[in-house]
Amino acid sequence: MSDSQGRTPSAVTFHGSWIDFAKIALPNVLLTLVTLGIYRFWATTRERNYLWSKTRFIDEPLEWTGTGMELFIGFIMVLFLLGVPFAILQLVAQGMIFQGQVAIAAILVITMVLAIYYLTGVAYFRTLRYRLSRTYWRGIRGGSDDQGLTYGFSYIWKNFAAAIPLFLLYPWASISLWNERWNLMSFGPYRFESNARWTDLMKRYLLFYLVPFLIFAGIFIAGVSAGMSGGGGGNPFDSAGGIAAFTLIIVGVLAMYILVPIAALMYYSKFFRVAVGGLRLGDLEFEFKARSPDWILYWLGNIAIMGLAYGFAFAPFSAFVFASPEQFAQKIEAGETFMTAGFIISALIAIIPLAFAASIIRYRAWKFFAVHMEAYGEVNLDHLTQSETEVSSHGEGLLDAFDVGAM
Amino acid sequence: MPTFFDAWHFDGKSAVRRKVEVQTVGNQFYLAELERRHGPFAFADLEYAGEQGDASVYKMGGNDGWRLGLVGNVPTELVPHLPAKKTYGGWIDRLGIGPASAVFAIVSAAVVAVVLFSPQWLAPLIPASVETKIGDALIGDFGGRFCSTPKGKAALAKLTNALDADPRDLQVEVANIDMINAVAARRKVILFNGLVSQAKSPDEVAGVLAHEIGHVREKHVMQGMLRQMGLAVVLGGFDGNGGSTLNGLLSTTYTRESEREADDHSLKALKSASVSPIATADFFRRLSAMDGSAQMREGKERAMASYTSSHPLSDERRKLFENSVIKGKAYRPILSSDEWTELKTMCAQDRKVKSGWGFDFE
Repeated sequence: MSDSQGRTPSAVTFHGSWIDFAKIALPNVLLTLVTLGIYRFWATTRERNYLWSKTRFIDEPLEWTGTGMELFIGFIMVLFLLGVPFAILQLVAQGMIFQGQVAIAAILVITMVLAIYYLTGVAYFRTLRYRLSRTYWRGIRGGSDDQGLTYGFSYIWKNFAAAIPLFLLYPWASISLWNERWNLMSFGPYRFESNARWTDLMKRYLLFYLVPFLIFAGIFIAGVSAGMSGGGGGNPFDSAGGIAAFTLIIVGVLAMYILVPIAALMYYSKFFRVAVGGLRLGDLEFEFKARSPDWILYWLGNIAIMGLAYGFAFAPFSAFVFASPEQFAQKIEAGETFMTAGFIISALIAIIPLAFAASIIRYRAWKFFAVHMEAYGEVNLDHLTQSETEVSSHGEGLLDAFDVGAM
Repeated sequence: MPTFFDAWHFDGKSAVRRKVEVQTVGNQFYLAELERRHGPFAFADLEYAGEQGDASVYKMGGNDGWRLGLVGNVPTELVPHLPAKKTYGGWIDRLGIGPASAVFAIVSAAVVAVVLFSPQWLAPLIPASVETKIGDALIGDFGGRFCSTPKGKAALAKLTNALDADPRDLQVEVANIDMINAVAARRKVILFNGLVSQAKSPDEVAGVLAHEIGHVREKHVMQGMLRQMGLAVVLGGFDGNGGSTLNGLLSTTYTRESEREADDHSLKALKSASVSPIATADFFRRLSAMDGSAQMREGKERAMASYTSSHPLSDERRKLFENSVIKGKAYRPILSSDEWTELKTMCAQDRKVKSGWGFDFE
């Protein structure tokens, strides 16, 4: 690998192209559609195979070895072991409400909510574990021997504790959970060490936390002074001040939609720099180099892609409905089968651009992380031996495949 | 006959990349470095692991991390020993993506059709006793919220008897809940007191009651439940939003269908009881003023609303009932004014009945 400007080349590089990725994503969408969604587990696997293989760490690409069947079986198990019991409990709770047993119903519902919260924590842990155990580099993989059951409890109490002081301790909860999770993971013979400090995040968090209040206060003060200057009473639109105040409200609402997400992205940006910066693996240290402007561009790109996809998704509807809305309404109300079929087919066709856009966004997310990821230090290939962590194949470890999260 | 070939190899024990030659001996092979020889390995244990740059990569069952990368054109002697490449997954690769998609599409359409249509003939097969048990388990006595006075119940029974040929298996109740609503659940019909007390006439209550009895007689509740369960299973493969949107569209299509059938049932029942449907039409007129469908004159908004709502638009139902009035027919009120007063005030008179939901529901 040579670099014309003489800089040290990055340890993590991405060599994919979105056109090649689209050749994987489009057949995925079609197969997912005709299999009523079942193919999506294999689709995910094909996407990951591509993304991993196009990502190089130092000199060798990563390899994804997870399989579609694995994800599918995990999904079926979750459906039966959790979905069915929860559905029954919900019915029972509804019945209890109807029969006036409100207290019992409330206890049932609270227990269910807590159980779901706990399992979400466990699932986050196992997702990371699953992904590390299926990620190979030079024939070596990662993993963890922990089941994540303790982590599930941490997930509940830390988030709960963070919420007590009006969510002000949220950075503490997320960083402390990040550290807890990564400290239990390993790659090859090395254990990850994660020592990120949550206090580094507080300034950004307070900014994000206060932005809505600042916008409100700003509008309120500006609005009141504008209203006062315009003279009192009557229809606000009669006075220049009234119109100014009204304009301010619109500006304020727009500000909420633009400034709040930007503040959130600035927080995320800091979060990943702090969290990844606190990671070590053997002699390796990591850095995440994306700054706030990178995040904002990335986010705007995603919005543009989704916007385009919605445009395409509604095209068949428009052709079907808007050609003659009155006739359409009458036929629908008369319950014509032809129209019903047409409507449902348009809905199915609408899935294509949306699912395709979601794929492209996953591609961008992976690329964003790969491009901004950096590692320093040395890897001794002779010492990097195979991981001895247990690989859950079938049986109790299958919750591994209870894959939450975006990717 | 040994075959020599350039390849790279990871043994899965350390991260060292090895440049090797493949030496074939029958169904087995060795991987030879300058000074070491790995193996023997059986070709039968090889699995295809994908492409990496210009190399086809194979892994070995039971040997974690073991990889063999064959670069460039593989010699013809080696080809028959290697496992087939995979692109989409086993079945699809065997059929080809076109035929496989067609097969999947047909199977999927058939499955959805079965789920949508089978409840119509499955529901009547479920014995009445089972239905009653489910109804009791789910609803019971509504937490003591059913209103009861002797005269009020008598008026309600008179209504029911006029509207149904054989009402012995029906349980009709007025629940002390201040909502304009009525529900049919298996063999129970529950009118909420909000509906009864705000009704302008007993004929209006009769129209709604006959509609709910229609749901019971046409087995809509059981059908709906079966269809809902089926759709939830079949569309469960789609993630989150996609599946539930489709499920919603499909099931509201059917609930609207059921509502239409129940309306037809109601019109027939009113006709045979010689009760004018005009009062029910008036009820829908008031309802359409509340839900806004009267304002949605024509156009896009109406088209979307008619597709996404679970009931036909109130405004449409008003027209249906209005148009069913037969001019010159001798209609008679279904209850005397005394009976009507007793029914209307039954919940107010009943001192034992519990009120509301017992907690803040809305």
